[in-house]
Amino acid sequence: MKNKTNCSAIEILNLSDEELIDLSVKNVLSLSLDEMKSIQFYFRKLRRNPTDVEIETIAQTWSEHCKHKTLTGIIEYTEEKYSKKIKRTYNNLLKETIFKAAMELNKKWCLSVFKDNAGIMEFDAENGVAFKVETHNHPSALEPYGGSATGIGGVIRDILGVGLGAKPLANTDVFCFGNPGIKDSQIPDGMHHPKRIVKDVVAGVRDYGNKMGIPTVNGAVYFDDGYMANPLVYCGTMGIIPKNKIDKKVNSGDLILVVGGRTGRDGIHGATFSSIQLDQKSDVGAVQIGNPIVEKKVLDTMLKARDLSLYGAVTDCGAGGLSSAIGELGEKTGAIVYLDKVPLKYGGLAPWEIWISEAQERMVLVVPLKNKKRIVELFKKENVEAVFIGKFTKDKKLTLKHNGHVVASMDMSFLHDGISKPKRFAICKIKEEKVQKSIKMTSVDLSKTLKFVLSDLNVCSKEWIIRQYDHEVQGQTIVKPLQGTDIEVSGPGDASVIFPYTLVNGTKRGIVLSNGLNPSYGKINTYKMAASAIEESLRNAVAVGADVEKMSLLDNFCWGNPNNPEILGSLVRAANACYDMSKAFDIPFISGKDSLHNEYSIGGKKYSIPPVLLISAIGVIENVANTVTMPFKNDGNKIFILGVTRNEIAGSVLAKIKNIKDGVVPVVYPKESKEVMKRIYKAINNDLIESCHDCSEGGLVVAISEMAFAGDKGVKINIDAIRIKGRLSVAETLFSESNGRFIVEIIPKNKSKFRDIFKGCVFAEVGCVTKDKYVIFESQKDKVKVKEKSRNLLKVWRNTISW
Amino acid sequence: MFKIDIFTKEEFKDSHGERVLSDILSIGIRDVKKVDYFPFYIIYGDINKSEAKTIASELLSDKITEGFKISSGAEKKSKSSIIEVLYKKGVTDTVSESVIKAIKDLGITNDVKVKTGHKYYLHGNVSQDVLNKIAVKLLANILVQEYKIK
Repeated sequence: MKNKTNCSAIEILNLSDEELIDLSVKNVLSLSLDEMKSIQFYFRKLRRNPTDVEIETIAQTWSEHCKHKTLTGIIEYTEEKYSKKIKRTYNNLLKETIFKAAMELNKKWCLSVFKDNAGIMEFDAENGVAFKVETHNHPSALEPYGGSATGIGGVIRDILGVGLGAKPLANTDVFCFGNPGIKDSQIPDGMHHPKRIVKDVVAGVRDYGNKMGIPTVNGAVYFDDGYMANPLVYCGTMGIIPKNKIDKKVNSGDLILVVGGRTGRDGIHGATFSSIQLDQKSDVGAVQIGNPIVEKKVLDTMLKARDLSLYGAVTDCGAGGLSSAIGELGEKTGAIVYLDKVPLKYGGLAPWEIWISEAQERMVLVVPLKNKKRIVELFKKENVEAVFIGKFTKDKKLTLKHNGHVVASMDMSFLHDGISKPKRFAICKIKEEKVQKSIKMTSVDLSKTLKFVLSDLNVCSKEWIIRQYDHEVQGQTIVKPLQGTDIEVSGPGDASVIFPYTLVNGTKRGIVLSNGLNPSYGKINTYKMAASAIEESLRNAVAVGADVEKMSLLDNFCWGNPNNPEILGSLVRAANACYDMSKAFDIPFISGKDSLHNEYSIGGKKYSIPPVLLISAIGVIENVANTVTMPFKNDGNKIFILGVTRNEIAGSVLAKIKNIKDGVVPVVYPKESKEVMKRIYKAINNDLIESCHDCSEGGLVVAISEMAFAGDKGVKINIDAIRIKGRLSVAETLFSESNGRFIVEIIPKNKSKFRDIFKGCVFAEVGCVTKDKYVIFESQKDKVKVKEKSRNLLKVWRNTISW
Repeated sequence: MFKIDIFTKEEFKDSHGERVLSDILSIGIRDVKKVDYFPFYIIYGDINKSEAKTIASELLSDKITEGFKISSGAEKKSKSSIIEVLYKKGVTDTVSESVIKAIKDLGITNDVKVKTGHKYYLHGNVSQDVLNKIAVKLLANILVQEYKIK
């Protein structure tokens, strides 16, 4: 191979093990010794050294970000419970847990599961809905504004790149941040203050999402000091796609068309960079800047081209840039790319930089020769740059040329299957959870604690964030994130409902989006955290009217360093919970993503983040008219609690505020919960429920208070009527975070019909909506009474974050 | 070269400036009494003053709430402290890309280059150290931006 171009050979054939590692570190390849040796072995067979383009391509393709090496690698897992050891080997954790459940459930209405850029489930006879959630943690730590903006831009492109392209209908965003109240002096050098990160991340999502004309409708924010130096930024997009546009087709001879933004040095090494821990020397080249205006034009024009059937396949340029996109599309055929044809922002880029740049807003289209002229004309008419840069071949090789010189020539099979499977060890010691010493509170204590909990960062109103987002654009958001009587009086909606009537003529159907996450449970028990997050996401969706029989889930793991066996062990436990719950609830996962190595160092010491599993749920409902919101509606209506309250305080907001160390983390009882969920759907569709709210962070007392102040109503609750299991004090009853519970409001005349529907479930009438606008919880038995003005509680809830 | 500063007219609220002031207070700095925010655009290329004026009035400012100042050389000294924030060289400036396209749409056909920036006038008796702190902690992300104190 001649190298007269701006490309050099990398000496690898004669390197020792040590030198191979050095090379990987020096060039930010993030490859292990085994992987470097696989490369050495391959090129020894070819009797030549690889070029820089080749080695960078391999590093991108094999990066944790693109290949998910940990979750698909070999894991030797040991579980210790009460000094009994159980061992198990996973050859591919993902395939043996989350994916396996989806295969076993084998739902006909799941149209694309774990194989494309997003999961797709059926919407109606003609359409599917696609949903994807991604993380953009590392870039957001360094440049919060650009990082989160390109995070949302990237996941929108995932939806554009699923099948032949879906039309985005809604965005979601979930963040984990450090405590925004922390003193400036406690922030390590070179890191941003959490409050600045919050503001800039929110601004980034706002500026990109709003400008794209896509409503941001659902989300969550969780604060914990563990995310101070390593914030988590999850962005999701949901879109609608005709069923006949779901399959991609790449034929030998098809042309490669790159459309949208130009290629620059931005985001070089993003994929490999996201697989390493953060420190102050982190690579500044990894920062990307987003341009929503370009992406909006790409979106509009691409969907036109899709409907004219001008291309056979598409994918987005995400992590790894062109390298990943074309590598994936050409896996079965082979491809030749002329790098000098790629439109550049400025000159001077080396071939390998062009190939792996993560410049934003680019899509790669696979165009049959016969459509060559028409597709370029279409993009030109809309002022979107579209340039042919190569074609798919028959030789199953990846060939890259630059100014006439071959700069890379490798077998696709080596690139995609040549990676050696890493073997890792995982261990999980399951701690016994004991019920804490009984928590006794006086009436005054209870009132005070209620206000503390309502104002807690993880319970309080996120209105300051939500109102920066446009959640109305496109005019299809039927159930919105804030619900209440007016702009000053609102409570937190459980889920959002999109009614895609502008795209699907005459439809009555709707799409429900919700999420669940609970990192505080994960600090004690990741199995229960995962199970609770799954149930919470379902409860949230069911509370607005979702049909639990027609829902799908997405998983997003953000974990610490998987080389630490205990951290990996906690991940295995969470993955097992996903399998168990998916099967028990009979609800499949359709897509997911993991972000590992969320680790940072301060003063030479390494810290991993508290693990987080975000579960995003999507459901399709028959009739958007049959949805409910959470504010109480009318005086005199009866209040029921569905589900049973157990003594489950560990990981709760109460435990955090009162510094309670013992306790049991909430368990999920899928059989009980699913039965309740099914019947709520039935009750809502029989018009028997006036309002409904999921009961989670903060417990019953928070959920009921929220419903009261959002409706500007009073409420009187008889604590003694609450159905409990085991021994619980009043405080434990009110603040326990047991799963499986809903609060519902019923018109008195509907009581008997309502009771009929829930026959056999645990439920109880506990009080009524009152006109005096006081929130009252009273126990005759224990002689305690909480009495607070509903408006006061609203104020307490709203005041924490109002920057 | 023309530099176009955009400012909020006095009778309207400079909400960005107010937000920056509250951010400054929230990191414990009490020396700053008021902040005025000016986004600015530096336009390089073969254009004349009247074209610059068209660009400023038709494209870059809101006629009702904002005014503009055009300068072509050194600026006058100001009594208050000024922090200017600009992107570092090599960082994609998407706003400037849009401005360049829009200038063409205005019918000004000569090639131009545009740099965008943010200017903050800080009123009050503020030391150099404090200005640096405000710039680094609140106004510029030194990974992608640079700042100047005037």
